[in-house]
Amino acid sequence: MSLLNKGGEGLRPAIRSPQNFVAGAFLVLAAAFVVFMLSGLPQGTLRAMGPAMVPRWTAIGIGLGGAVLVVLSFLKEGEALERWQLRGPFFVLASLILFAVTIRSVGFLVAAPLAMFTAGFGSREVRPIELAIFTVAMTVFCAVVFRVVLNQPLPMLILPALSIQF
Amino acid sequence: MDFLQNLAHGVVVAVSPINVLLCFAGCMLGTLIGVLPGIGPIATIAILLPMTFGLDPTAALIMLAGIYYGAQYGGSTASILLNIPGESSAVVTALDGHEMARQGRAGAALGISAIGSFIAGSIATVVIAALASPLASLALVFGPAEYFALMLTGLAFAVLLARGSVFKAIIMILIGVLLSTVGPDLTTGQLRLTFGAVWLADGIEIALLGMGLFGIAEVFRSLEHGEARQVKKTQIGTLLPSREELRASVKPILRGTLLGSILGILPGNGAVLAPYASYTLEKKLARQPGRFGRGAIEGVAGPESANNAGAQTSFIPLLTLGIPPNAVMALMVGAMTIHGIVPGPQIMTKMPDLFWGLIASMWMGNLMLLVINLPMVGLWVKLLNVPYRLMFVGIVIFCCIGVYSINSEPADILIMAALAVFGYALSKFNFEPAPLTLGFVLGRMMEENLRQALMISRGSFLTFVERPVAAFFILLAIVMLVVGILPSIRRGRDEVFVD
Repeated sequence: MSLLNKGGEGLRPAIRSPQNFVAGAFLVLAAAFVVFMLSGLPQGTLRAMGPAMVPRWTAIGIGLGGAVLVVLSFLKEGEALERWQLRGPFFVLASLILFAVTIRSVGFLVAAPLAMFTAGFGSREVRPIELAIFTVAMTVFCAVVFRVVLNQPLPMLILPALSIQF
Repeated sequence: MDFLQNLAHGVVVAVSPINVLLCFAGCMLGTLIGVLPGIGPIATIAILLPMTFGLDPTAALIMLAGIYYGAQYGGSTASILLNIPGESSAVVTALDGHEMARQGRAGAALGISAIGSFIAGSIATVVIAALASPLASLALVFGPAEYFALMLTGLAFAVLLARGSVFKAIIMILIGVLLSTVGPDLTTGQLRLTFGAVWLADGIEIALLGMGLFGIAEVFRSLEHGEARQVKKTQIGTLLPSREELRASVKPILRGTLLGSILGILPGNGAVLAPYASYTLEKKLARQPGRFGRGAIEGVAGPESANNAGAQTSFIPLLTLGIPPNAVMALMVGAMTIHGIVPGPQIMTKMPDLFWGLIASMWMGNLMLLVINLPMVGLWVKLLNVPYRLMFVGIVIFCCIGVYSINSEPADILIMAALAVFGYALSKFNFEPAPLTLGFVLGRMMEENLRQALMISRGSFLTFVERPVAAFFILLAIVMLVVGILPSIRRGRDEVFVD
């Protein structure tokens, strides 16, 4: 990344648009990966297109586009990389994973509060007690609205030890 | 006046008590989710879609119509009160609408937005009813080559409409097409890019894309800002606009409706353009253009009507050609497919009850908005007063429930999470997600039509030039791309935002 950091040091940096450079490089790598993953599938002919034809050529198009972005990043002045705030995504992603893991095994009445309480810490202004109250209220609200009123297929509580499942 | 008879038949289907109730419920829930800041119609519909799975097809589509209009109206409410547009077309509403709210005229802004939407919706409903039959018969002469060329035109149009770099918009479309190829190849059934995972074997649901890119990713972006956004503690004021305000709004509403109806029919999400076009037009026609941006009611009435009319006529490409012109319509396709309905010209003849019932229900959805949402605006204001540190938690759990309800598949939540990270990255690198969604929406259909067209032409691309209709669309697509690259036109388009 040393190429990217030269930005403000007087000398003209080699990469003049770090944003385009990183995006382009990522696209080239991603496209190469997709083309590699498609290597086992037949492309067919134009008269009888195979399953790999469209994805492969689309990926090649994306890769070329990425390459152009990389080249442009050396030629044209562009924007610097933006800062990523990791706190929000970290807690929200953790909460999504928790929900995905627990919804089938213990059910909504456990999964929802767990996920919501975790997600809440993604905000810098989190107030744990307020969050806890909100979490409980929302769980009840969602259970009533989605399960009882709208009859959605949400498993509510699963406790195999007590053979509870509803 | 054949279509008026059909329309009347549709109204009969739509006003059965159960359908009215469902439309009401859809409208309420649509507004409830749609009013959440940053959540536009795409994410709202994606979240609420599973609720309609258990209903019979007509009832399901009627409820969806309610959700759709509720989501639209909820989005306008959030942009007027909070200046947080949930989607690009609500940006225009926020310009003068939020200014009106700051002057204590939020009620009038909300009122005129509902009234304008209702009028626009009513007129657009008639437009759909009148145009559906002739356009559907046009569809019969379309072969795969024509379909492919038409969709290509749609994509070119989306590039033209995208803000920012044209080049990046094209890359976004390609990524969308690539994502759409995940899953089984439609002809051979071979799995592509599923990495051996069972939960990717059916491909990626458009609803997941909607919630990931437009729901959770938006939460990530909003969390960066902290608690800056609060409802202005101003009076909502009277909901009915004054007599002068109404008089000033009549013509903008009618002009907006006309613009919206025309633009909505275009493939490639022309409806997004409608509010911008209407705003620019009203500003040009106004005696004192300086009032715009400072709380001019015409700047709310016109674009809101245009938006609603466009949202409605964008059903036309879907119902007549079977081509969804935007992500919302693609979600509708998803809902129809679940009920075994294949969108296209044959719906009208094979299922007249459903077809005309759906069209009539659009009108009913608009009426619902007027009847229930105006009196309930106080409730939505209270909801918007919930601090964002709690609100986003609600958004997250709604998305979880929405995703899980589609297939009862926990892995779908992880796909949504991955798409959300991707969406967040896109905004960090100044890529716009809208062209990606359109590429995704049209990708599979384009592949199938390309394959068939080339099969018929024995592998010769000349078929797209030799067939006059296809050649026309290809030419149109090229012209649009060229126009998109011309700097003078791009400058003119961005002007709307400058002042």
